[in-house]
Amino acid sequence: MTIEKIRIPDFGDVQKITVVEVFIAPGDEIAAEASLIALESEKAVMDIPSPLAGVIKEVLVKEDDVVASGDIIALIETAAGSGESIEQAVEPVAPAEAAAVVEAPVAGHPAPPQPPGRAFHASPSVRALAREQQVDLAGITGTGPGGRILREDIVTALPGGGEAPPTGVGDSTTSPGQTAPEDFSKYGPIEEVALGRIKKIAGPHLQKSWNTIPQVTHFDEADITDLERFRKELNGTLPEGEAPFSPLVFVIKAVAATLKAFPVFNSSLLSGGEKVALKKYYHLGIAVDTPQGLVVPVVKDADRKGFRQIAGELQVLSSNARAGKSAIPDLQGATFTISSLGGIGGSGFTPIVSHPQVAILGLSRSAMQPVWDGQQFSPRLLLPFSLSYDHRVIDGAEAARFCRALRHNIEDLKRIML
Amino acid sequence: MSETVKYDVLVLGGGPGGYTAAFRAADLGLTVCLVEKEVRLGGVCLNVGCIPSKTLLHAAAVIEEAAQALEFGIEFAAPKVDLEKLRAKKNAVIDQLTAGLDGLCKARKITRLTGTGSFKDRSTLVVTGTAGEQEVHFASAIIATGSRPFKLPNIPEDPRIWDSTAALQLTTVPKRLLIIGGGIIGLEMAQIYSALGSRITIVEMLEQIIPPADKDLIQPLFLKLKKQYTILTRTKVSEVRPTASGIEVTLEGETVPESGEFDGVLVAVGRRPNTAGMGLEELGLVLTDRGFLRVNERQETNVAHFYGIGDVVGEPMLAHKASHEGKVVAEVIAGHKSAFLPMAIPSVAYTNPEVAWMGLTEKEAKAQNIEYDKGKFPWGASGRALSAGASTGVTKVLFDKHSGRIIGAGICGINAGELIHEAVLALEMGANAEDISRTVHAHPTLAETFAFAAEIVDGSITDVLPSKKK
Repeated sequence: MTIEKIRIPDFGDVQKITVVEVFIAPGDEIAAEASLIALESEKAVMDIPSPLAGVIKEVLVKEDDVVASGDIIALIETAAGSGESIEQAVEPVAPAEAAAVVEAPVAGHPAPPQPPGRAFHASPSVRALAREQQVDLAGITGTGPGGRILREDIVTALPGGGEAPPTGVGDSTTSPGQTAPEDFSKYGPIEEVALGRIKKIAGPHLQKSWNTIPQVTHFDEADITDLERFRKELNGTLPEGEAPFSPLVFVIKAVAATLKAFPVFNSSLLSGGEKVALKKYYHLGIAVDTPQGLVVPVVKDADRKGFRQIAGELQVLSSNARAGKSAIPDLQGATFTISSLGGIGGSGFTPIVSHPQVAILGLSRSAMQPVWDGQQFSPRLLLPFSLSYDHRVIDGAEAARFCRALRHNIEDLKRIML
Repeated sequence: MSETVKYDVLVLGGGPGGYTAAFRAADLGLTVCLVEKEVRLGGVCLNVGCIPSKTLLHAAAVIEEAAQALEFGIEFAAPKVDLEKLRAKKNAVIDQLTAGLDGLCKARKITRLTGTGSFKDRSTLVVTGTAGEQEVHFASAIIATGSRPFKLPNIPEDPRIWDSTAALQLTTVPKRLLIIGGGIIGLEMAQIYSALGSRITIVEMLEQIIPPADKDLIQPLFLKLKKQYTILTRTKVSEVRPTASGIEVTLEGETVPESGEFDGVLVAVGRRPNTAGMGLEELGLVLTDRGFLRVNERQETNVAHFYGIGDVVGEPMLAHKASHEGKVVAEVIAGHKSAFLPMAIPSVAYTNPEVAWMGLTEKEAKAQNIEYDKGKFPWGASGRALSAGASTGVTKVLFDKHSGRIIGAGICGINAGELIHEAVLALEMGANAEDISRTVHAHPTLAETFAFAAEIVDGSITDVLPSKKK
């Protein structure tokens, strides 16, 4: 029998991970892969499975703890040792911690200040502002020299950030999200229902995108009659166990090719507003409707992958997203986003550009339409799509050209090889 | 006083923490009652601590400097010290400052009560003063009762055995003065009495004087003092016997005389919080083993509407910590989201040379396994220090190896207590070695030494040879 430590896995450079639920208690006997805790980051909620089977000896995290990769979740007693043994992994207790009896916080109150060497890189006035506005500095990426957290970074992080002046932010008068609602119950019965976790996380991000990006939406449609025929043919001869091709797979490839031809659509506006960063990689975020809410997994390097590979990846990414099991790296790094409502319905919509991206493609429901071919009307399957773009970076004419090119690429996929 | 008056804030204790809290609370629109047991505001700091000691230290510095002027070809006659006039000067400074506080208090319409306070319940304090007892009703209470010198248990009562308060009364200058405790208070008193003519012996239980500071920072001071005083480290006082001729003291240590006779003994072995006899525990307030009130960074105790600030809530027992906490607590009570979370609180020993440090010391950084780069600039290479006859000194600065940001600094030398604040600001602002190196410092100044120490880490130093690794 050995006691092993179970640690939080590596999440890349995610800033803030919060424990939202703890499923285990000391004494629990658990199987390998059993869920231990649920974590929430800026983008996702995920369960952490146990790497080992055994009996939980001690649980070292609790709900609402902010944790980092490598932190210990629990100690588990296993039949045979395979992980790190407790003896060699005992962390040194800083003497200051043991000695600082007087500074020890009263139970239930926030933790004492960190030692200077480990503290946040922010000046006293900025730390005070963060405290007043209840902004956790751990979740802020500083944009100052050497990553220093500036006053602006705090303001931007606030609901309605970037718009409101540095003082008075969060006042009911300046932040639309916090305006006190009128008393609806005087007109009839109401019921208050909490927003889902993902909506609560996504809200401020959407608000920021909406507030900071002057966006325009351009509409167009592509004739996918031939593409659909081809797709059905492919799916009819699909080898056993292989993911079927959805129209989205082809649109992803067409978008990647179009982005290569129009690099500015695959960029981000840099702070100062004088430069854009053109990204030489094509990671496409795909908005997925899940029972918990909207999740956007990312198909990485879509330009370099084949149709089959993308079809397979798309299936895994969306089923993980629906199961609430998206890995953090799968939700990061998108350069452009596609939101498809085609499976549900509608003839057009205006998606919101997701900051810091500069454009987003919306797909609506394709429908058979009469199309005049010069001599007669013929029935064609048309896919309506819309492109919302950041007008600071992209002009209307460019957007129209992008949509034309995208349309051609979708209608005649051979073009994407050019 | 009407029984029906209920103050927003009661402040118990009128020291630097208490009066600051009271003033800030009043300025934030709260009604305030300030209770102080002494007639004068200002607490230990103003009356029997920082301020009177600095007045006497200034006098000591003048005496010492006059003697040193000989190097510059200037010779003064031996000084004649009029103790009574020196005392009067010291008291005049105290009077001026405390009178100023009275004026500020009055202008803010703060109710002042003189007497000792004891809590009757969670909203009533009984103040016992010369005018009898009276009850004060309050919504929130700030406990700012400070600290008192610690009394060693094996030391008898005798008029020749002093604590720091007694030593500052300046009643007499003992020929042979034993100072028990080589901390800041002990060394400052040594400075004063040595200049006035006492022969000083300092006994310190730990291995160095000013134990919290790094040994190499203290070294310039230690080397100077050991020529003037007998300094016995790792030494304990096992017995103190007052006799007619003097005070016999038995010492315990590796290489010390077993006993000695002194004309005066100063006990300066730390301070203890004043938390007894006020009914605090009856209110349910939690005290630590050493009697400190436990508070969080909002100065809140475990009992709602009860707050603590200053020495009474723990180390470091410094007036500047107390006053900052005083502001925070007033803001917290006024509903602001304030908290006392400084990255560093500077410590200063007003010895000659002075010693000041802030942030992490090297030994703390090591104990916390923080990797750091160190820059150390000896004042012997500073033109300003040399020309002022003050080459005894060193400036040291530590930077985190990973973030590059300053994590601590220490200065030994004249005006170290003034110079340290550039380092505190650098730490609060998150400066790195390059930031400090590229900040233009006037030449020749003592402040330059801080930039030089940073340049050593930055690798851009020219005033001494750069270290090889860069």
